[in-house]
Amino acid sequence: MRQFFKKKLMQDIEKEAAKQGTAGSDEDNCQENSENIHEWEKLLLRSNDYQKTFYVNQRTGKKFCFAFMSTLVDESIIQQSALPYLLEGDFIHLNDVKRLLPIADVQVSGDNSEIERKLFNGYILLTLEDVEDQFVFLAAQKEVVRSVAQPEVEFSVIGPKESFVESLDQNLNLIRKRVPVKELIIENYIVGSLSNSSVAILYMEGITNKDNVNTVIQRVKDIEFDEITDSSYIVQLISDNQNSPFPQLLDTERPDRVAAILAEGKVAILVDGSPHALIGPTTLVEFFGSFEDYFLNYLLSSFFRLIRLFAVAFSILITPIYVAALSYHYELIPKDLLSTLITSRREIPLPPILEALFLELTIELLREAGARLPTKVGQTIGIVGGIVIGTASVEAGLTSNVLLIIVALAALASFTTPVYRMGNTIRLLRFPFLFFAELWGLLGIVVSFSFLLTHLLRLTSLGRPFLEPLYPPRVTDFKDAIIRLPFTRQYNRPQYLRTENPKRFSKKKAKEKKDIDE
Amino acid sequence: MQQPVPERLQISPFLVLYLIMSMQIGIGVLGYQRIIAQAAGFDAWMSVLGAGLSIHIIVWMIYKICQTVEGDIVAANVYVFGKKFGHLISTVFIVYLLIFALAVLRTFIEVIQVWMFPEINAFLYSFVFLLLSVYIIFGGFRTVTGIAFFCIVLPSYLLLTFSFALKYAEFRNLLPLFDHSIKEMLTSAYNMSLTYLGFEIPIFFYPFIKDAPKSQKWAHLGVFLTTIIYTALAIVTFSYFSEAYLAKSIWATLEMWKIVTMPFVERFEYIGIANWNLVILPNICIALWGASMILKRAYKLKQRKGVIIMALICLAAIPFFDTRLKINLLNDWTAKIGFAVTYGYIPFLFFATMIAKKVKNK
Repeated sequence: MRQFFKKKLMQDIEKEAAKQGTAGSDEDNCQENSENIHEWEKLLLRSNDYQKTFYVNQRTGKKFCFAFMSTLVDESIIQQSALPYLLEGDFIHLNDVKRLLPIADVQVSGDNSEIERKLFNGYILLTLEDVEDQFVFLAAQKEVVRSVAQPEVEFSVIGPKESFVESLDQNLNLIRKRVPVKELIIENYIVGSLSNSSVAILYMEGITNKDNVNTVIQRVKDIEFDEITDSSYIVQLISDNQNSPFPQLLDTERPDRVAAILAEGKVAILVDGSPHALIGPTTLVEFFGSFEDYFLNYLLSSFFRLIRLFAVAFSILITPIYVAALSYHYELIPKDLLSTLITSRREIPLPPILEALFLELTIELLREAGARLPTKVGQTIGIVGGIVIGTASVEAGLTSNVLLIIVALAALASFTTPVYRMGNTIRLLRFPFLFFAELWGLLGIVVSFSFLLTHLLRLTSLGRPFLEPLYPPRVTDFKDAIIRLPFTRQYNRPQYLRTENPKRFSKKKAKEKKDIDE
Repeated sequence: MQQPVPERLQISPFLVLYLIMSMQIGIGVLGYQRIIAQAAGFDAWMSVLGAGLSIHIIVWMIYKICQTVEGDIVAANVYVFGKKFGHLISTVFIVYLLIFALAVLRTFIEVIQVWMFPEINAFLYSFVFLLLSVYIIFGGFRTVTGIAFFCIVLPSYLLLTFSFALKYAEFRNLLPLFDHSIKEMLTSAYNMSLTYLGFEIPIFFYPFIKDAPKSQKWAHLGVFLTTIIYTALAIVTFSYFSEAYLAKSIWATLEMWKIVTMPFVERFEYIGIANWNLVILPNICIALWGASMILKRAYKLKQRKGVIIMALICLAAIPFFDTRLKINLLNDWTAKIGFAVTYGYIPFLFFATMIAKKVKNK
């Protein structure tokens, strides 16, 4: 009850003060029009959400002024932890603010150039009437944060279920909690001439290679762009080869994955407003390892990784091989299999390449339509596409049964890539292979494979070879590449990262084994 | 002594193994059996072994030369003959590498024409192939080495396919041993030279090897493995073919693939030839890279331009070799020049370098 009264009293006082304030400010406004408007304020005053209010302290009679962006500021902070104290306390000098207010982030400053940035970061600008060259910033950010949800792109059945959100602070909190040591360094940079996005670069002091960190910092600093809306902008702007269809930085929405790669000695980049962190340097094989692999026994996860690699090869090559074999090398196919193929293709008027292109395009259309439509309608698309178009085109004699199976399997296989971006790349890769297969059969497939291999060989991720450990061949890095060895074998950090401390833990202890019956 | 190559452009010593093997194994292996059997009959496999062992001496000489002059062939030529004359001799090596690349590419196209696509457009195929090579060389020597590495590792499964021929092998074909004169054996070994060519390449990229002296054992191992493969393949071939039949088989290796059958694949030679595209890729890349590198070192021509010029010369020359006879002539000459360069000039350069070193030290 007493509390209630106190509150009520305060509100009354506030109102009164506000009245006085506004009364006073009317007068000031007239003056301001002529002289009191600062240069930095002119544009701000045209925006509706820029607020500037004058108040008078009741004890000392000091006049002070609040300026802030109402869209960015949590007004309850003003009402509860700023105004009551400033109106009633012994407020004479600006330095008194720190003593009077129960707000942690209070900064006294005299730098005019800071004002605009601070205002847009959700600070309140507090000025005294007669003090021109000094002012105070009060932190009062409005936090509109989506709650931490389950990862959707990299969902795992086992393991942690949190994923990043759009707020950088929240994301950093999720990572800090998993790596609570002073060696984890978080550096902040502002990128984008209009968006002023803060980009956080995370690395482990004493583990991460300095060259890698400096490369990232330099590239982030060199970014010239106006509006950075997502981390995918950063990826495209700082990649080594921007003309490559391959992603050269891994992106993840899992804080646990970021914590794990920081411990390995990689660099992470987080962008405010993006629920995806970027990881580099990375390698091709890393894109085929799901993070869930680490939650499973090493035998299982090695097996699944091999399946995925097979799936990728299958997905890219199977349709081109079909086209090559049926257009040129039907001698390749054993007699029994050939008769099956002939039966299924007997009624088809189209050459294999057109047949394949028709089906591949259908699948791409379905996928694109499914991705653009709301979930509920999307399901219908799946049924219409998969069942109706598929069956109908076979019955209409446009495509053969065998090819329908092959294309559907290839599409299925391409979904096994754990990183969505890589899946998209694989979708694209199939088409050059198809054209070369039509041109020169198997020879064409090998030629296009050579192009692909060369491209991959030439790619680097933050200056480190992208194909490692396949090339340059480094046997020790195979422990966590195509297969994954048990954790007790992972005593060294990956070699290609050139970490400052290559030992993860003592090899000796891990290798100690008890004798039988001891 | 030449300017050292920065470390980020250098390769690990053990990769020399792959470079040498990938350069040696090329087009010759598809049909060398008939050629060597012409002189020494089914004793020729000993010539293969002997010729392979003799290579080690040349490789040893190459490393000695490079260590003495601390550089590649251009540095060695300058060291011995002075700038003007040295560069002139280096030009001969450009021509040799160019002819080598041309012979490999044209012969492979012939294989394609005979076995897969009689109507394939040789010019278009060469264009795409050379475009690929230029793209590889633009990635620098490390990319070239990477291609050499993958082009040994990926097609290595093809070795297993020759075991299908073992089912029909008649090893008594090889008997009696030592049925031929030394002269015949030596002729056979000489005929083997085109197939073995390629072991001389360390002399071109020696400065690009990290810890170069350490790579010597890998170079020897590479040559040794190639020798083993060739000898084993020769023995398998001789036990599979009869002497009279082999005399008519121009591409004996390919013919052995004909009997390979698996539940899902027949006529394996299509797959084999398509894969061979990978095997000859490093041949052409290393040759073009070497030629353009000598151009750069001797005549200060940017390698980017040099590669394109070399590739264009190759491309322009392809249409001139349009008959079996001309291609044969090209191969014969490549073998002759290669033999002269490796067994003639390199020992000569070795002794000249040793003498020059003594003179300079005084």
